[in-house]
Parts: sequence; C-alpha cells; structure tokens
Amino acid sequence: MISSLFSSWLAQAAPTAEEIQAQVTLDSQILTEQFYFWTVVIMWLIHAGFMAYEAGAARRKNVMSTAMKNILTIAVVTPSFYYFGWYIYGCFEEGWPKDGHGSPTVEGLEVLAGFCQNTAPWAAQMGPNLQDHVSAVFFLAFLLFSWTTASIMSGALIERVRLSAFLILAVVLGSGVWIMDAAWGWSGGGWLVTRYGFHDSIASLVVHGVAGAFTLGVLLNLGPRIGKYTVEGAARTFRGHNTHLTLLGLMLIFTGFYGFYAACLVIQSTVFPGWLNIYFSPTTLGAIAFVITFGFAGGFTGGWFASKGDPFWTLSGGLAGVISVSAGADVYHPSLAYLLSISGGMLAVYAGTYIEKKLRVDDAVGAVAVHGVCGFYGVFLVGVFAGGYPTGINNVESSFGGQLMGMLAFLPLAFIPGYVVSWILKKLNILRVPAEVELEGLDLAEFGQDFFPEFERVPEIVIEPDGREVDAAPVLLDAYWQTNGRAETPVGTGERS
Amino acid sequence: MFDAFPFDEWSEDIAEFWTYGGEGSTGTYIMTALGVAAMLIALVGFVVLEQRKLRRQTEMLRASGALERPNVVVATTTTTTIITSD
Repeated sequence: MISSLFSSWLAQAAPTAEEIQAQVTLDSQILTEQFYFWTVVIMWLIHAGFMAYEAGAARRKNVMSTAMKNILTIAVVTPSFYYFGWYIYGCFEEGWPKDGHGSPTVEGLEVLAGFCQNTAPWAAQMGPNLQDHVSAVFFLAFLLFSWTTASIMSGALIERVRLSAFLILAVVLGSGVWIMDAAWGWSGGGWLVTRYGFHDSIASLVVHGVAGAFTLGVLLNLGPRIGKYTVEGAARTFRGHNTHLTLLGLMLIFTGFYGFYAACLVIQSTVFPGWLNIYFSPTTLGAIAFVITFGFAGGFTGGWFASKGDPFWTLSGGLAGVISVSAGADVYHPSLAYLLSISGGMLAVYAGTYIEKKLRVDDAVGAVAVHGVCGFYGVFLVGVFAGGYPTGINNVESSFGGQLMGMLAFLPLAFIPGYVVSWILKKLNILRVPAEVELEGLDLAEFGQDFFPEFERVPEIVIEPDGREVDAAPVLLDAYWQTNGRAETPVGTGERS
Repeated sequence: MFDAFPFDEWSEDIAEFWTYGGEGSTGTYIMTALGVAAMLIALVGFVVLEQRKLRRQTEMLRASGALERPNVVVATTTTTTIITSD
C-alpha cells in the first residue's frame, strides 16, 4: 500500500512554478489562519481571567451575578459585533463614509481594497468560504478584543448594576464605541493614522483607555455601592470573598494577553514581507513579547512599591504596566519598557486611590485607573519616547501632537456614550438593582440561591476609613436609611418614603 | 497531492450549500434579518426577565421587614460589634 502510494507520487510530473506559487500562497494563508485561530483560543483566557478576577473581588452574596456578567458578555457582544460592529471597523476608517460605503483610498493600501464590503454580515467573507482562509479568523480576533472592552467595564460596576443594563452597555461599548475608535486610530487607513501618525500599536488607548473612559461615564450615573462612603464622604473598603481567586484571574488575564498581543500583528508571508503591526509597519513577534514581559515585570514592581505591598494592587500594577507600554510595544527597547511600566504601575495605584478617595467614584476593581488612566498614559508616552517613528502605510511620523489628537478624539468618543446611555438607563430605572436587593445580595434575587450552600454564612465585614474591621450589617443598613434608599447619594439624612 | 481526489468539484457543491445561496442573496439577507431580530429580542428579554425577578425579590424583602430601620445605637470595635437598644 505504502509503496504503491510512493510510486504514484513519484510518477507525477514535477510541479510548475505557478503550481508551487499557488501551493505556497495557500500554505501561507493556512498558516495565517492557524495563527489567528490560536490567538483566539489563548485570548479566551482573558475572559476566564476577568470572570475569576471579578468574582473573587465580589462579596460572597454577589459571586454568581458578577460571573454571569462576564459569561453573558459573550452572548450579546458576539452577535452585535457580527451584525454591525465589524462593518463599523471596515467602513468608518475615514469617519462617517463620505462616498457611500467604501474602503479608504489611501495610496499603498490597495491590498485592502474592498475591505469595507467584505465586512457586511451578508458578505461572502463572513461565512463558510473555501476561498478565504483569513477573513473569518481576523474577525474573531477582533471579536475577542470587543469582549475584552466589555470585561474591562464589567469589574468596575459589580455588586449593584443590573445584569441587563450591563449587557446593553456592553453592546454599546463592545460593538460600537471601541470599534469606531479602532477604525479611526487602529487600522491602516484610519484618519488619525494617515493624517497625524497616531501610534497605538497594541491598543493602550483604543482598547484599554477607551473602555476606561466609557466606564467612568457609567460610574457617574451608577453611583457607589451602599455604604461605600461614610456620611462625611470617607471611603470604606469592602473585602472581596476570595482574593486568591482574584489573583488567579489576573494571572489568567496576563497569560491571555500574550495571545492578545500576538493577534494585534499582521502576518501573511506572500502578501507582506514579514510581521507588521496594525498600521502595516514592520515589527517582529519577539519585539512585542520583549515589551509585554518587561511590562509585567516593571508593573509588578511599581505596583508593589506604590501600594506598599498590597497583593491586589501589585498584580493590578502588572496589568497597568503592560497597558502603559503597549502603545509603543513595537518600538521600545526592553529597558525602556521596564522603566516606563514601573511608572505605569505606580500611576495606577495613585490614580486608583485618588478616584476612590477624592473623586468618590466607586470603581470596585480600579478599572478606570488601570485601564483608563494608564491607557491614555501609554499613548502619551509614545509621543514623548517614540516621536519621529514612521507610522502607517504613508510613513507619517509619530509626534506628541498626533498622540494628543488621538487622546482628544477618543476621550469624548468614549466618555459621552457611556454617560449618556447609562443616564438613559437610569432614567428608565433599569440601571441599578433596587437597594433592598443590593443589601441582601444579588445572587438570591437573580438566581434564587446561595452558591456556597455547604459553607457556614459568616458575618460580612467592612473596613472603616480608619482601618477598623466591623460587622457590615448595621453599617450597610444605616447607610441604606441615611441615603433614603437611594444608593447613588453617598451623603444625606432624608427618610425613606 | 492525489489528483484523483475531486476537491474542486466537491468544494463548489459545499460552498453553494454552506452560504445559503451565496453573497448578497435573498437567503443570506433573510438569515441576517432573523439573527438581528433574535439578538434584539434577547436583549429585551434580559431586561424584562430581570425586572420581574428584582421586583418580586424587592417586594418580598420589604414585606418581610428585614430592612426596617433599626431602633438601635451601634458601636463597633476592631473585633466585636456591640448593639445596644435605645
């Protein structure tokens, strides 16, 4: 049998140059297909990690409602991104389409001609297609980025947001806001790239910063958890039910980030000469792996010292460190990435403390500081340390002004929709769970059960601003009555009607 | 590569079946419209279902009196809680 097959193989005529070329092209496309497919698999860890991270940070009474947000993010962002999010990315690179729906006509971008039409849900590229090995997996990689933006917001809102309100906000952020900013500043033909040389190669701002700014807009309408602030406005601390789970979640997120970083690159050897960043500028996979690893190292270091060894902020500092150097990950020397990520890790701690204690915004996991502040910081750093680097297909030099232009464009693009949509949900009275349910815990209301049935229920503890650990029940009940049952008002003495 | 394998012929048959009629066809538009409708119905369903659950639980909690204003003065220490009636 084997000798027969071997003989028939030898009997075939030698392939022509055209046949070899066709085979090499097909092999190249299949390698690209495999590459993006496996980045998607690895990026799932980000979402497993966010779920564990947030569930651990939640109090016992809110564990499942917290985790369910992360799970159902996939249920709503996937179809919405397929039906209109991907089309936004393909067709809005120059802002609102001026000449119907067409791809940008940038010299040198001929390879992407027709990309816009390929992103509609009824396009041949958006379903099983034996002639196209790349479009589907490229879409999937972006879909995972979309889930990530929603998961970034998720943790900040835990323990009082309605599941359904969060899902609506996740659709707006994951399938609208972030992908619009990606079209503008994270694509080969984006107007910020081709005109201003905006450089954010691994998405410091377009994913993290934008998700953080959107989240801040939501938090202003959502308000703090009941009892988070004293009558004088000092911040109490709620202890998560399982810090080990939170730290494990962060480690899973970090693992998934390697897939995220890899998926931010473009590879197709028969079309491009090597690895490219999202702007079609040359780079290598090793370069960004250097930066992400040193980003974690520096971020952990900065977070540790700024928080004086707090476990939560040490690991969050790692995340902040990476986010701070992501924008220039294709450019930075590892030592520069190390130094900058130390500063990013420290910045996250200081910003998180300021947001919680001075601004009195109850961000349960520090998402606005870690993702929002450090996302903007990362783009700022590129303007300082990578000015002059040629970005994009038309080699516009990166500059501080160009980076500033990106920040000025994306801050309102993210913050205003977050604020407006959450304001509408608040006016419809479907943004936040009733105060009574919040006090009892969301799990009993949403799912009708305690998810630790064989464990004794011990009294909940809250940390007062002076550091005392006290029984939470009387504190929360008192806060409930002092705020007239309206948890968004941290200070007040009115009676509940 | 075995030339006897009818890959091209089979792939054309499969492609026609998979895409419900191909790019921009009536079948594809109908599938898209049905998918969008299902997505919107699901979003509304999430809101309505949760609203029912929360309303039921809130009414039950208020009726139980569990959250009535405590007629107590609360003083706390690091490790214990002392509740004293007025």
